[in-house]
Amino acid sequence: MISFALHTLRRSIFAISIAAIFVVFVGPIAILGVTSIRPASGVFYIWRGTNFTLNNFVEVLHQSQVVQAMWNSFVLSTLATILSLSITIGSGYMLSRFGGWIQRSWFATIYIFRTVPYISWVLPLYLVNTRLGIYDTYVGLLLPHIAVHVCFFSWLMKGFFDGINPSMEYAALIDGCTRWGAFCRVALPAAMPGIAALAILCWLSTWNEFLFALILSGKRTPLITSTMAQFVTETGTEWNLMSATAVLAMMPALLVTIFGQKYVIRGLRM
Amino acid sequence: MTARFTKFGFDEKERFMLFLIAPAAIVLACFEIIPILIGMNASFREWSLVNPQRTWVGPKQYIAVFTDPVFLKMVLPNTFVLTIVSVGVSLALGLALASLLNRPFFGRAVVRTIILLPLTIAPVITATMMRWSFNDQFGVITIFLSYLGLPDVAWLSDRWPSFALIIITDIWIWTPWFTIILLAAMQGLPPEPFEAARIDAATPWCIFRRVTLPMLRPVIIVCVLIRAIDAFRTFDQVWILTGGGPARSTEVFSVYAYVLAFVDLDIGRAAAAAGIGALIMLFVGVGLYRLVNRSMEVS
Repeated sequence: MISFALHTLRRSIFAISIAAIFVVFVGPIAILGVTSIRPASGVFYIWRGTNFTLNNFVEVLHQSQVVQAMWNSFVLSTLATILSLSITIGSGYMLSRFGGWIQRSWFATIYIFRTVPYISWVLPLYLVNTRLGIYDTYVGLLLPHIAVHVCFFSWLMKGFFDGINPSMEYAALIDGCTRWGAFCRVALPAAMPGIAALAILCWLSTWNEFLFALILSGKRTPLITSTMAQFVTETGTEWNLMSATAVLAMMPALLVTIFGQKYVIRGLRM
Repeated sequence: MTARFTKFGFDEKERFMLFLIAPAAIVLACFEIIPILIGMNASFREWSLVNPQRTWVGPKQYIAVFTDPVFLKMVLPNTFVLTIVSVGVSLALGLALASLLNRPFFGRAVVRTIILLPLTIAPVITATMMRWSFNDQFGVITIFLSYLGLPDVAWLSDRWPSFALIIITDIWIWTPWFTIILLAAMQGLPPEPFEAARIDAATPWCIFRRVTLPMLRPVIIVCVLIRAIDAFRTFDQVWILTGGGPARSTEVFSVYAYVLAFVDLDIGRAAAAAGIGALIMLFVGVGLYRLVNRSMEVS
């Protein structure tokens, strides 16, 4: 009898904890979603009110700045993902497969520059960009974003290649493949699933990146995060429009979480 | 593969290694290392955007930052409190959630999906969302708390409530990260020690404390290292939630440097502040790294 009661107690505590996880992690997102389909006058009804509308989205999508910002963020994230993965694959492979002083000093470099706070180099980068005349352009945003990814993704790539058995590459070398051949024809195909996982992470982190967008982009090439921040800190009261923008901006994240979670988890675990 | 050693040249293997890292190294040099050097140069100058004289003034800017009461009384304590509390609490919650989810149950896949959401949504959006949920008049959480009969808290108009909100947001974002990594690590543990402990009639808490935790130690240390480095430079949530206010009382180090540069337009002093942050992080980072290496050797 006691054991049965204990069992029930434990089961209900477990169920309550799972319910709490739902409330805590879905709650705020759901509130944002509900607010985004409220008319401006109904934003302040939390529980009551069945007044729903899609006008907020229409209105937001009519603002050319928002649409342009989403497009810019999309192009920038895609380009940054392709370019930064193509340069970090080699670096991660080197870190994983070789030793010696070159490998050790490159690893140390990557580690040290990973610890440098972003603000410490975005600030002077702003001066560099204005001097070079690439402030607020695609190039001026793209190259720093790639540089951010170099340290982090080389590290992740290394971990990923560490998990792949190198004996196939040794076999290729013995059979007369060059080092480049072993890298391109044997290691790369084996690494493709991991690279796909990293590509998703890389794309999302560029889309979500804020500090670089805030400092290095302006009116000509707005990005979605800096546009949102402007809404929040400057207008600050039109919560229905703000929520609609936020919902649009989190769409890629939602899609990736629902359809690509296998890849996200694999990327995070490396 | 003849290892041909010449004094100044590189052998074939080394050339291959250098080719592999060359593109990454060039990008890193041009867009990270050179800007940092420019920043260091700027930090020794009187350099403001309105008056770009760029006179060399030596360590004056560093002294100015270190004698700034805002930096000493607000920024430094805030940054360290945010880092320690956020990393500590999300680690504890992450461990709890990971142990909770480390068993088969109905709906587990759904739970694993929803805890990914905070990681994939931009911190800017999360902060906006939190700002709305904790809104003084219409926020759901405010209304819920007053429904419970708790006194009203003006979340964004006092120092500690605002700072608590920043920490809560940070914990909300990063607990799932710890959960997912620790859950993966727990599932990779060998089953034998757990069976042995169960045969010896150890309580679940005892198993967690004496078997799971020691076996997870290397993973936990690496996670804490990565998170601590990132938490130190938190900017997004703070900027959106409070903007460093009220009265600069919730500024953390990144916000402080940003405000100096783009609100006060004082590039020289901002560069000095950013440099101080980078130096602190260098020491913390290298220290933590050695700790990680040592613990890896032990375990």
